[in-house]
Amino acid sequence: MTVILQNLHGNHACAMGAIAAGCRFFAGYPITPSSEIAERMSRELPLVGGTFVQMEDEIASIAAVLGASAGGIKSMTATSGPGFSLKQENIGLAAAAEIPCVIANVMRGGPSTGTPTRPAQGDIMQARWGSHGDRPVIALAPASVKEVYDQTIRAFNLSERYRMPVVLLFDQVISHLLEPIELADMASLELVDRPWATGDSAGFEPYASTETGVPPMPRPGDGYRTHTTGLTHGEDGFPTQDPEVVTRATQRLLDKVENHRADIESYECHDTEDAEVLIVAYGISARAARAAVRRARGQGIAAGLFRPITIWPFPEEALKAAASKAKAILVPEMNAGQLVLEIERIVGHDLPVAGLNRIDGQAINPDEILQRIKELAAK
Amino acid sequence: MNEITPDKFEIRDYLRLDLMPHFMCPGCGHGIALRALLWAVHELGIDKDNLAIVSGIGCSGRVGAYIDANTYHVTHGRPLAFATGLKLARPDLKVIVITGDGDCLAIGGNHLIHACRRNLDITCLMLNNEVYGMTGGQVSPTTAETRLTTTTPAGNSEPAFDACKLAEAAGAGLVGREVTMQTPALRNLIKEGLAYEGFSFLEVMSDCTEIYGRKNDLGDSAEMVLAQKSDMRPEAYTNSAEQPFRPNRLVTGILARNDRPEYGDTYRRQAAALCGEGDDAA
Amino acid sequence: MSNLEIRFGGSGGQGLILSGRLLFQAFVMDGKHAAQSQSYEPTSRGGFCNADLVVSGGEVDYPLVTAIDYLVLLDQIGVAPSAAMIRPGALVLSDSRLVPEPPKGDFTLYQFPFTDEAIALGNHRAANVVALGALIALSDICDRETAARAVGAGTPKAFLDLNLAALQRGFDMADDLSADLTDNAAMR
Repeated sequence: MTVILQNLHGNHACAMGAIAAGCRFFAGYPITPSSEIAERMSRELPLVGGTFVQMEDEIASIAAVLGASAGGIKSMTATSGPGFSLKQENIGLAAAAEIPCVIANVMRGGPSTGTPTRPAQGDIMQARWGSHGDRPVIALAPASVKEVYDQTIRAFNLSERYRMPVVLLFDQVISHLLEPIELADMASLELVDRPWATGDSAGFEPYASTETGVPPMPRPGDGYRTHTTGLTHGEDGFPTQDPEVVTRATQRLLDKVENHRADIESYECHDTEDAEVLIVAYGISARAARAAVRRARGQGIAAGLFRPITIWPFPEEALKAAASKAKAILVPEMNAGQLVLEIERIVGHDLPVAGLNRIDGQAINPDEILQRIKELAAK
Repeated sequence: MNEITPDKFEIRDYLRLDLMPHFMCPGCGHGIALRALLWAVHELGIDKDNLAIVSGIGCSGRVGAYIDANTYHVTHGRPLAFATGLKLARPDLKVIVITGDGDCLAIGGNHLIHACRRNLDITCLMLNNEVYGMTGGQVSPTTAETRLTTTTPAGNSEPAFDACKLAEAAGAGLVGREVTMQTPALRNLIKEGLAYEGFSFLEVMSDCTEIYGRKNDLGDSAEMVLAQKSDMRPEAYTNSAEQPFRPNRLVTGILARNDRPEYGDTYRRQAAALCGEGDDAA
Repeated sequence: MSNLEIRFGGSGGQGLILSGRLLFQAFVMDGKHAAQSQSYEPTSRGGFCNADLVVSGGEVDYPLVTAIDYLVLLDQIGVAPSAAMIRPGALVLSDSRLVPEPPKGDFTLYQFPFTDEAIALGNHRAANVVALGALIALSDICDRETAARAVGAGTPKAFLDLNLAALQRGFDMADDLSADLTDNAAMR
């Protein structure tokens, strides 16, 4: 395998990962700190036969992405908090109509316009619950430039495999971080295409379940002439309010993720085997946590780091295993305490779970975490 | 199903018959618009397999589902944005947007002006019934002044949009308007729009008999349709509380042409040039 | 090797990010592990802007600076966000004209007319590269040849001659200062 070394910052790594994953359509709207993703895509896509379009607003961007993906082209958009809020309704449509797409959300301080150029991790719960109704969610949180590249490719693969939107969550620090990264050559990449409908169009049911729960997608032009709607629909694709069909349809959407957790969940463990103080951190905060854990170990403290890369669905069983020796869990986040709620839910009340939170637009640094590790270890 | 022959238009060849009966109210003009559209599709010989219909939310949004084609029923106000992505990704598809006055001019107004400006090869059919029918009859951007709706109990005090003037000013390649009563003329207008290589905006004056008509004592469907070309129709912008029903003749037919490069074509030529393959094309 | 933390601080539009990138490029050429980050205010021009580098013996854990070893200041606005983060014993270089009140503390501070020298070279916007040259010459963070190669690789053609001259000017200014310091030490 030949390896190409490139110096990329996070936003460019996201764009290059998308191109490598086979993304050939990008629609976006300028927003700090994600704009370089759009800028890079506007340069790269024409070179590979793809299309870039800057739309009139954030909603139009995600709507155009859904249109392009419905046409059979791998598609993505990128934004930050305010735009992520605006896109929520159409993310719901993507989930309901099972239109694959990738949404990169480069998190900045909120609420509202917030602190546009400062990092935050305040959209964790929005990624899970931002669009109304019960829907399946996959969200990935890379912690380095290299991981932005890799997880963007993975986001497309998961999106295609399960026919649903996948959200990439990173932050202003990583988006503008320059790191040398090794890009695998294209031939060695595993790329996934959505299951396509083949065979007889007569009697074809576009939303009939399959063994995987993922129905093959009819490509317009292939003769299936199906209906795609955000209204809750039956196997035939047409709207229904029949309680049984509605239950079945909604449950199948949720099961696509629930039944494939092993494939979707990803995480990293550092020194968790004997960790008495377990840090659960993601994104840039996990970088600080890793440095803090290293230093704590240097001082003889049994600290460890559990780093979810897949934030939603949260890798529950893996966390429980990593916390088996823990006496306390610390969750550093650049928000007022979001993922900590999920951690508390998973580990139950037997184990004390503490937050370490910053809402000042500053990244959490290793010293702060080390200090808390020491306090928790001394208890 | 019958074989489609170019000479005879049989609407059943283009409908999803198993969805009948349709859900439109008796007297609703949307069905006539649907017939005119499918008639135009037939006469132009457009292949249903390559036909994509994108619609939004509202009564107009539900019309598309009856068409035996690739149909997309998306979020409120966003069919033009969705269609923009679809057409850019799949230039081989014939993309038609069916939208309504609320979907297109209120919640989706921004997408309309930019679709006009961008001039991508999409035909936008706006079914104007002057009201939000699906939600029970609230005032819309095209409701005439003084009209009663469920949210204007004292009569509408906002001026109405002239959607065609808006589309023309925003740069749409082709702009036209027709009433449902003149079905062959409506078919011809839609044919012009579908054949046009660029963005065509077509306003269809529909009628909401059940809700809007009743609320305003506009008579039955036949009376409402006839009134569309009569002197009693208020003209957008020019009405006032003092003189609400100024006589006018509703202008129909092709109202504006603005021939300029089609967006997708331009993009692909520029992309080819960037790839170093565009030397010959230039 | 423990982490080295370097910051170019000043005002948006001064080319601080470019300085950071050029130095990053030099580190990568040297086979070092580096990460370069930026922080700025939501204005393209005039707000504070920092370009930071963390250089590590291994993979960089935490890519942001927390205790700065080398600080270059090109504008007064860059002082406040950085002053508290300067590590004792650090080296601080500041522009003598645009930073009238440089930080004070337990570190070495040299004031240089980076901007004036850039103007003398024909373009005030090359002050960032003059400063980069001075920093490299006064520290052992990377050798001069690598820095020149990095500048060559990372500069658009139209500015290549200017930037190479600016880098050399920075080396020269630092060498003059070192010579003065040696002389002073000898005289003492």
